[in-house]
Amino acid sequence: MDYSNLRRQAASLKKGLFDQGHLDEQFRQVEDLQDEASPNFVEEVVVVFFKDSGRLISNLEQALEKYPRDFNRWDAYMQQLKGSCSSIGASRMKNECMSFRDNCGQRSVEGCMGSLQKLKREHAILRQKLESYFQLLRQVGPAGAATRPAM
Amino acid sequence: ICGRDGGDSRVILRGSEGAGEAFAGVMAPPEEAGGGDQFPVGMKVLVVDDDQTCLAVLKRMLVQCRYDATTCSQATRALAMLRENRGAFDVIISDVHMPDMNGFRLLELVGLEMDLPVIMMSADSRTDLVMKGIKHGACDYLIKPVRMEELKNIWQHVVRKKFGGNKEHEHSGSLDDTDRNRLTNNDNEYASSANDGAEDSWKSQKKKRDKEEDDSELESGDPSNNSKKPRVVWSVELHQQFVNAVNHLGIDKAVPKKILELMNVPGLTRENVASHLQKFRLYLKRIAQHHAGMANPYGVPASSAQVASLGGLDFQALAASGQIPPQALAALQDELLGRPTNSLVLPGRDQSSLRLAAVKGNKPHGEQIAFGQPIYKVQNNSYAALPQNNPAAGRMPSFSAWPNNKLGMSDSMSALGNVNNSQNSNMVLHELQQQPDTMLSGTLHTLDVKPSGIVMPSQSLNTFPASEGLSANQNSLIIPSQSSGFLTGIPPSMKPELVLPTSQSSNSLLGGIDLINQASTSQPFISSHGGNLPGLMNRNSNVMPSQGISSFQTGNTPYLVNQNSMGMGSKPPGVLKTESTDSLNQNYAYANHMDSGLLSSQSKNAQFGFLQSPNDVTGGWSSLQNMDGYRNTVGPSQPVSSSSSFQSSNAALGKLPDQGRGKNLGFVGKGACIPNRFAVDEIESPTNSLSHSIGSSGDIQDMFGFSGQM
Repeated sequence: MDYSNLRRQAASLKKGLFDQGHLDEQFRQVEDLQDEASPNFVEEVVVVFFKDSGRLISNLEQALEKYPRDFNRWDAYMQQLKGSCSSIGASRMKNECMSFRDNCGQRSVEGCMGSLQKLKREHAILRQKLESYFQLLRQVGPAGAATRPAM
Repeated sequence: ICGRDGGDSRVILRGSEGAGEAFAGVMAPPEEAGGGDQFPVGMKVLVVDDDQTCLAVLKRMLVQCRYDATTCSQATRALAMLRENRGAFDVIISDVHMPDMNGFRLLELVGLEMDLPVIMMSADSRTDLVMKGIKHGACDYLIKPVRMEELKNIWQHVVRKKFGGNKEHEHSGSLDDTDRNRLTNNDNEYASSANDGAEDSWKSQKKKRDKEEDDSELESGDPSNNSKKPRVVWSVELHQQFVNAVNHLGIDKAVPKKILELMNVPGLTRENVASHLQKFRLYLKRIAQHHAGMANPYGVPASSAQVASLGGLDFQALAASGQIPPQALAALQDELLGRPTNSLVLPGRDQSSLRLAAVKGNKPHGEQIAFGQPIYKVQNNSYAALPQNNPAAGRMPSFSAWPNNKLGMSDSMSALGNVNNSQNSNMVLHELQQQPDTMLSGTLHTLDVKPSGIVMPSQSLNTFPASEGLSANQNSLIIPSQSSGFLTGIPPSMKPELVLPTSQSSNSLLGGIDLINQASTSQPFISSHGGNLPGLMNRNSNVMPSQGISSFQTGNTPYLVNQNSMGMGSKPPGVLKTESTDSLNQNYAYANHMDSGLLSSQSKNAQFGFLQSPNDVTGGWSSLQNMDGYRNTVGPSQPVSSSSSFQSSNAALGKLPDQGRGKNLGFVGKGACIPNRFAVDEIESPTNSLSHSIGSSGDIQDMFGFSGQM
């Protein structure tokens, strides 16, 4: 196994995520929390994040239909999602959350719909990239995973 | 080495062939339960957030900070855990937006019941929310994503809280200059901190709190002791005299010198009066602000204060206006006391409060706030209702809400004390004693905030978070601890459970006293002496078996909650409903220092708002006369210092008449501000039920384990 190559790929993938603004500094903080005591912490958190955020987005979509123009409610849902995104450093997603909330504030249904679509897109992109990333790390194996790729 | 040291020791070896090896050792001293030598290592943190991602990240961070972290995704469960074992945690971190309970509510409850430091957290950094958190007593407000550096310092809050109460002992008598300066500073800071960051608000609040702690230390109750720079104990009597003087002069014209002259209390200095006045004014402003805000939604013309929501208290405007419109006061009271039936979030205007505001609406603007004797004397089963419509009565049953419990509410409270069923005069709230029935029914409706007085809508002011669980039949009084100290011992005969918070910081008593309630039932306002009060909140005893509002002294109440919050929770605190058919209902309004919380029992009749910061009640009460064994004032009390002040709005009162039951909410938390959420519903239906009023929080078990059902 060419660990170094895999590791390099993983590092490059991650760097891309940062460079393109999918992830921000908070993600680094999360990575810092990983250590020998919690060797898979980052991945675990990411899994939790996507599970929760998927659910929240789906709830939000239902709410958009079930409670038309209920901006307060929509805003409340989004508030929650925003919190999640910020905890993990999902920067682009967070921005879409904020833009959605702005649209709620302006009571623009189209604006909200648009933001939601963008949010879903970012969500999907981030999920896919991070999945690849962790897959690479897993291939590198415990030894490789134990070493946090330098950024 | 690791074996010897034990604890969390790790040795990490890194190396590669031929390149040598590096040893890195991490040897942590054995962790002790928080508070040991290694503090803050091992400090027990409870994190409450429905966001699993955030919980996971936070927990890990906390562990890395060497704290002992527990996470909980449900606020209700967290509350249950805390109630089971208060000592299980040193500090709580809670999110603001949670599905099962609003974070501010949790904050209030924890503050009231447990006196633990609570840190709020949110992805929302809006200043008004932060402000709200601070006002509710949060020690800090973190914006997500929370960084490690921020968490590293949270142990300071634990220490601060623990030692905050001891500060008063360190500031002996150096009341005047430094205090005055601080007061001034606080005032200015407060006024200008609306636009500052949370930190500034927090600081100014903290300063205030400190100051108040200093001020409110209750000594032997002798306001004129002669040590050099004696600390003034603002006993109920003293405060009553103060209020009378201010009333007499008119709030705008009340200057310390004149007040001092009118009060004619030997040994009292102008500086003492000045500092007391400043606090008082602050308090009034706050309640006025609230009131104004509350009034707005109904289109009631508000005075200059524009308060969009609790969070948006516009103190500056209020300060600028220099007046507190009755509507504002009423609204404030409402806001402080009650919570709208359905919304958890504070910004929702409490309907009852709105109504109150509306009722009050006809009150001309710019009237002075008159502070009537906050203490009503309650005669046999009758509570002196606000003698509103009784010009002859001469006083508006207004209570000066005492924001800082430092003020001797406690004393006055004790005066109120007579909570015996057989005793009628429990409420020594007001000298006005009127036939409850006539007075009440008439009064309520016609309560008019005259320039001289502030009438507090009695109803709906009872909600205290704590009281959520109170059964309708309980007349417990819930007094957020923070402020007040007016817990007077409640004689065992008193059914209602009184829980009086003793607040460490004793911020203020919000003495809001809501005087008049519907005439139908009168609930005595029971004040319980902290010392003797058993855990109030969880009792289902009737709060007020009879008349009178007892003042609570928090002295030794186990439940003192130290909270510097405003006590306005999103959910109405439990509302005490008194089922008694006494003519007078006492409402108890409670406001803490930050806010005037009005604790009003949902009695139809008199409402008594009472704020008091218990701090150290012991001394202060003993001086009260007619104290029974429980240090309740027995028998008609003299109109002494009813330090409680209340504001009632005509509007509110007008609504009360239909109250079938009085709600008494008694809750004592140390230093907690009374959530002051009076059941708004009270106004709406004659059969207000606790659940109704608690409405929004009906699904939540309050400290008493009630789910909003009385």
